[in-house]
Amino acid sequence: MNRHKWFTSGITLLITAIILAGCGAPSTDGSKDSATSTSSKVLTIANATDIESFDPHNNNNTASEAVLVNVFDYLLKNDSQQKKVPGLATSWEKVNDTTWRFHLREGVTFHNGDPFTAEDVKYTIERVAKDNTLKQNSYFKNIKEVKVVDEHTADIITDGPDPLLLNRLSKMGAGILPSKYIEKNGIEAFLKNPIGTGPYKFSQWIKDDRVVLDKNDKYYEGQPKWDQVVFRSIPEASTRVSELLAGSIDIASGIPSTDIERIQGEDGKKIVKAPIQRVLQLILRQSQGSVTADPKVREAIDLAIDKKGIVDSIAGGAGIVTRTSVTPGNFGADPSLYEKTLYDPAKAKELLKQAGYAGEGPTLTLSVSSIYKEYAEVVAAMLDKEGFKIKLDVLEPSAFSERYSSKSFKEMFMIGIGNSLFDASNNYNRYLLEEAKGETDYNNPKVEKLLQHALTNLDTASREKEYQQVQQILAEDRPAVYLFQMEGIYGTGNGVNFQPRSDEMFYAEDITPAK
Amino acid sequence: MRAYIAKSLLQVIPVLLIVSLIVFILVRVTGDPVALMLPETATAEDRAVLTQALGLDQPLYTQYIKFIGSALQGDFGTSFRYGESALPLVLERLPASFELAVAAMFFAVIIAVPLGVISAVKRNTFTDLIISSLSVVGKAMPNFWMGIMLILLFSVMLGMLPVSGRGGMEHLILPAFTLGVGLSAQMTRLIRSSMLDILNQDYIRTARSKGIFEIVVIGKHAFRNGLIPVVTIMSLQFTSLIGGTLITETVFAWPGLGQLLVVAVNTHDMAIVQAAVFVIAFIVVISNILTDVVYRLLDPRIKYN
Repeated sequence: MNRHKWFTSGITLLITAIILAGCGAPSTDGSKDSATSTSSKVLTIANATDIESFDPHNNNNTASEAVLVNVFDYLLKNDSQQKKVPGLATSWEKVNDTTWRFHLREGVTFHNGDPFTAEDVKYTIERVAKDNTLKQNSYFKNIKEVKVVDEHTADIITDGPDPLLLNRLSKMGAGILPSKYIEKNGIEAFLKNPIGTGPYKFSQWIKDDRVVLDKNDKYYEGQPKWDQVVFRSIPEASTRVSELLAGSIDIASGIPSTDIERIQGEDGKKIVKAPIQRVLQLILRQSQGSVTADPKVREAIDLAIDKKGIVDSIAGGAGIVTRTSVTPGNFGADPSLYEKTLYDPAKAKELLKQAGYAGEGPTLTLSVSSIYKEYAEVVAAMLDKEGFKIKLDVLEPSAFSERYSSKSFKEMFMIGIGNSLFDASNNYNRYLLEEAKGETDYNNPKVEKLLQHALTNLDTASREKEYQQVQQILAEDRPAVYLFQMEGIYGTGNGVNFQPRSDEMFYAEDITPAK
Repeated sequence: MRAYIAKSLLQVIPVLLIVSLIVFILVRVTGDPVALMLPETATAEDRAVLTQALGLDQPLYTQYIKFIGSALQGDFGTSFRYGESALPLVLERLPASFELAVAAMFFAVIIAVPLGVISAVKRNTFTDLIISSLSVVGKAMPNFWMGIMLILLFSVMLGMLPVSGRGGMEHLILPAFTLGVGLSAQMTRLIRSSMLDILNQDYIRTARSKGIFEIVVIGKHAFRNGLIPVVTIMSLQFTSLIGGTLITETVFAWPGLGQLLVVAVNTHDMAIVQAAVFVIAFIVVISNILTDVVYRLLDPRIKYN
């Protein structure tokens, strides 16, 4: 009978465990019916990845910032056209070449009731500027000091003229934190129970599952539109699509191009798209001895690739062809190069011949992260067709990142480069002599002079001209061949009006209930 | 018996040390976390500063000694991604994975037991053939595909169950069923052969010859004894479920250990990978010992030396 006892107790244990598991599970917070009943006013958004943390200074992830902007405010914000508008600062002016003065909004409180003052600005900005272990430090380290002028005025002092200061202050890393609260409780406690001045306050974070935010009744711009905003993280794209079709979420981001038609065919669901700050491009080496050092070869590469074809086929139409990576909405953009593309396979063949490859074409290595594998395969096929021999080198994302930062690629690599500062410098600093070393080895004294000057040029009009000039030269020199500007594809239910932004943020206050 | 347990527990230490060494080396030779942490525009100087701050500039053996020293005190380092201590982050995922594993095992048992018994009793008949074919199909079907199909049917088309996420019982059904079907295929075959073995035993023949109803013979005499090896195998499969539900957890956005590990590998979050693999290894080793003990208790013919 001993055996029977073991068996019976095993089964009993199993059943008990199941019952316990069922009881122990956290209760659903009504997220299932959130989208279907508009009266509850819960907005549910599904992203592919979870946030990294509630520390805006130690975070370098667009998906995190998209959530955090609802909790933490910046001194100034970008509107949907990327124009600077007042946030926690109502106005600002330049005092001298290295000092900007910010007049702060009065009567603003943090979620715990602490008033927002210039001390908070000093604490926040100096923390990210001085602690070089924070992921956002590289954007802010040129800030020398923040001076408290009075309770509602702060001076931000940089170590040299910085035309980008306002851009830096309106992005992740500049989210204003409560100095008193953190000094009293420590940063660890703050991260478990974060507070800001934003329209929504922290309620719950279950990692890799959901972030729940409740409305802040005391928000300085009045009552927020939603009672609750839920950000769910659903890594599998087809699962996000299914959640949308089942009606349990309002907005799904990162819709694969293959699912666009399926969503559009569904009653009450639609696809919305917006260009994002990311341009897919091929970066070409110009170092001595490299095949791509020959300008004719680089031009042939550009002309051999049918960018429009790539957008229409693999990207499912979600992309805009371009000959520049500084797209509209960014400072220094040159519209004459936007929505333009060159494609002339016959001439590409001819150029290769002129470059001395009459019979056998040149052999090139194209490195790419596995996330862009399909694009690289098509590009390689197009280049092969016009006489190139492409060795495709597909790497895991982390291996790609390592090779990228150690600058050890061969002739060519494909990468999507974003621009969180909305300024041409972010795209072009890589072509400064010092930075280009080992990557493109691009060397054009005229470009170097223009770029160096623009770095500290506080005269907006002439600075813009400088970048436009650089752009025209780069379009001919081709240290990079631009494929297209990517577009964000979102699926939405009919309960919400949502217009995606080029910076990929989800400002819940800009998303309105449909009724 | 006590000596046996003590000896097994001592053997755990070298096993865990070897596992930690392998994982430690693997995560360090496969890529640079600093490159993933900083923005594309970061300079070489920024990278150097962060590399130093994280202690990644030191020789591998120094890093390993430091790691073991802290690990002995329960400190597996700080997650790069979350900026929090790694071990609590891993442990807080265990309940979700455990819940899924238990429920999957439940489905596996309720599917496999009747099918296995029927196919043994009706061996070499058409029914047996159908069940055998089904278990081949069940085993061959990829979890992610089945998960997506179940979501489409029960959640999108019929609207009966939630698509994904963790919550009440209803959230558990689809992912647990997906995992359970794969498991049950294996178990069905095991139960079938175990039952066949017993049905050929003398005492069954004796029972039958005494004129006892066939259902009683199978239910009372054969079934109980036939399940003993199955219980042992179940506990082994249960441990593999705890650590091995990566794909199913990803498809169903289930916030368990598997999903944590997938994200940690993708973002090269060394501390999390190390802590998670260590915890999984620990669970597997300990439950292997437990299984061994249970097995020895069940079968007195095995000696404890």
